[in-house]
Formats: sequence, structure tokens, C-alpha cells
Amino acid sequence: MADDLSTNHSRPYWRIWGVLLMLTVVMIFVDQSPMSRGLLILVLVAAMLTKAFLIGAYFMHLRFETMTLVVTVVVGLLITGALLFVVIAPDGLRALHLSAW
Amino acid sequence: MAYVMEGGQPGGINRPAPFDLSWQKLMMWIFIITDGLLFGGFLAAYGFGRLSVTAWPDQSEVFHIGYITAMTFILISSSVTMARAVEVSQQKDKGKVLFFLLLTIFGGLIFLGMQVYEWSSIIHEGARLNFNPWGVAQFSSYFFIITGFHGTHVLTGVIILVITAIRFKMGKSSEEGVELTGLYWHFVDLVWVFVFTLFYLI
Repeated sequence: MADDLSTNHSRPYWRIWGVLLMLTVVMIFVDQSPMSRGLLILVLVAAMLTKAFLIGAYFMHLRFETMTLVVTVVVGLLITGALLFVVIAPDGLRALHLSAW
Repeated sequence: MAYVMEGGQPGGINRPAPFDLSWQKLMMWIFIITDGLLFGGFLAAYGFGRLSVTAWPDQSEVFHIGYITAMTFILISSSVTMARAVEVSQQKDKGKVLFFLLLTIFGGLIFLGMQVYEWSSIIHEGARLNFNPWGVAQFSSYFFIITGFHGTHVLTGVIILVITAIRFKMGKSSEEGVELTGLYWHFVDLVWVFVFTLFYLI
């Protein structure tokens, strides 16, 4: 819990900062490399989610909060994101086919 | 540890509250979730826009990706100084708290200044909310709305940071106040991670 954090002097903020910057540089490098579009998106989204996890877990201290809060925040947002994708992606692709047609 | 009283009756059984948080912190988390849904809606609309057109401008030709990466670097760094402010506030180190809060404010102001420059460059090139010189009208709409909303959040964050720093210096803000401000600031950083990847890179 956050209240207990005052006793912990070794939280890895600068290490997380380094990892976040490294991931950002990797993303830029990958973005400019001759990679297939599908693989590029996969790598970028994976790096993005890793960065989001690190910020949420360490900077926002979710790692030290109760599981109830973690589940409420993470699962709620994930389900909403998945629902938005499932509902919107087919319509978006259909609109693409219609505009191409 | 926060407790609730079963049935709200005196003499009831005390047990830990489900989230084990103060109500202020719980309210901040609820705000963050709802604000996350707002940006989720924006990014989903953007995804729809991308999927429904056959062509999309090459971002690397419109934006200077190195410049955007520098903005990302600034925001990530300000998140670390904010995390340090929260940490030293729990160690009751008032001087260090103010130092790290000021560094965070400085980072936020640099980010905002860079965003203003980016916006003015894009506008100077002829982009408006409903049209732009790169062929796809939605491109600039999504750009201005998504980065505009995020920038507004950064500006709000800077204002909250200034207020927190002043109140903390005056002894009117507790370490929890610093922690709540930190939660908001990290959320702003978190949103930028998604905007940077989905809008500028993919």
C-alpha cells in the first residue's frame, strides 16, 4: 500500500525511467526499419503496453495497492478498450471497403 | 488502513474497506478511470477514422519525429521527478519535495512550450481543424482534438502542481495531497504513451 512506501528507499524510479526511454528509442528505430506493417504494429503496440504497465505499476504505485483496485482499474479499462475495438473495427473496415468500392 | 462499519450501525463489525484507500485517493482513481475512458473514446474514434480511409498522411513527413521524441523524453522525465516528490514527501523532507515539484512544473512547461511550437508550425503549414494540405481532412481534426485535449490536461496538471507546491510550502497540503497530484500527472504521461504510439508512429 502507498502508506507503506515511506519505508522503502529503493524504489526503482530511475531504472524505470531508463527502461521507458530505451523502449521509446527502440520504437523510433523500429518505426524507421523496413519491417512488414503487421509486425511493425505488433512491436509498437507491445512496447506501448509495456510502457503503460511500467508507468501504472511503478509510478502510479498500482503494484503496491490492493488487488481490488488493480482489477477495477485495469480490467475495466481493458474490457472497455476491447469492446470499443470489437464494435468499431468492423464498421471502420466496412467503411473502407465502401469508400474503395 | 481504511475501515468500514457493517450496516453503518454503531457497534457493527469493522472490516477493511474494499479498496483500502482514503476517499480522496479513491475519488482520484475514479476520476482517472473516467478520464481514461474519454481518451479511449478519442483514440477509438481515431482508429475508426484510420480504418475508414484508404490513405493516411505519412506522419514522418508531417511531423519531426525526433522533436516529438524529445517531448516524450521531457514528459517521462517529469514523471520521475514527480514520483520522487511523492517519495520524499512520505519521508517528510519538505525542501526536497518543493525541489522535485518545481522540476516537474519545469518539465510540464517545457512540454507545453514545445507543443505550442508544434501546433504553430502545423498551423503555419496550412492545417486547420477541418482541412489540411496533406489530403485527408480527418488527419488534422484528430491531431488538434487529441493533442489539444492532452495538452489541456498537461496545462491543468501544471496549475495543480503549482497550487500543490504553494500549499505544501505553507503547510496546508499533506503528503497525500502530493501523492494525488502525482497520480494525475502520471496519468497525463500514460495518455501520452498511447497518443505518441498510435498517432505519431503507427
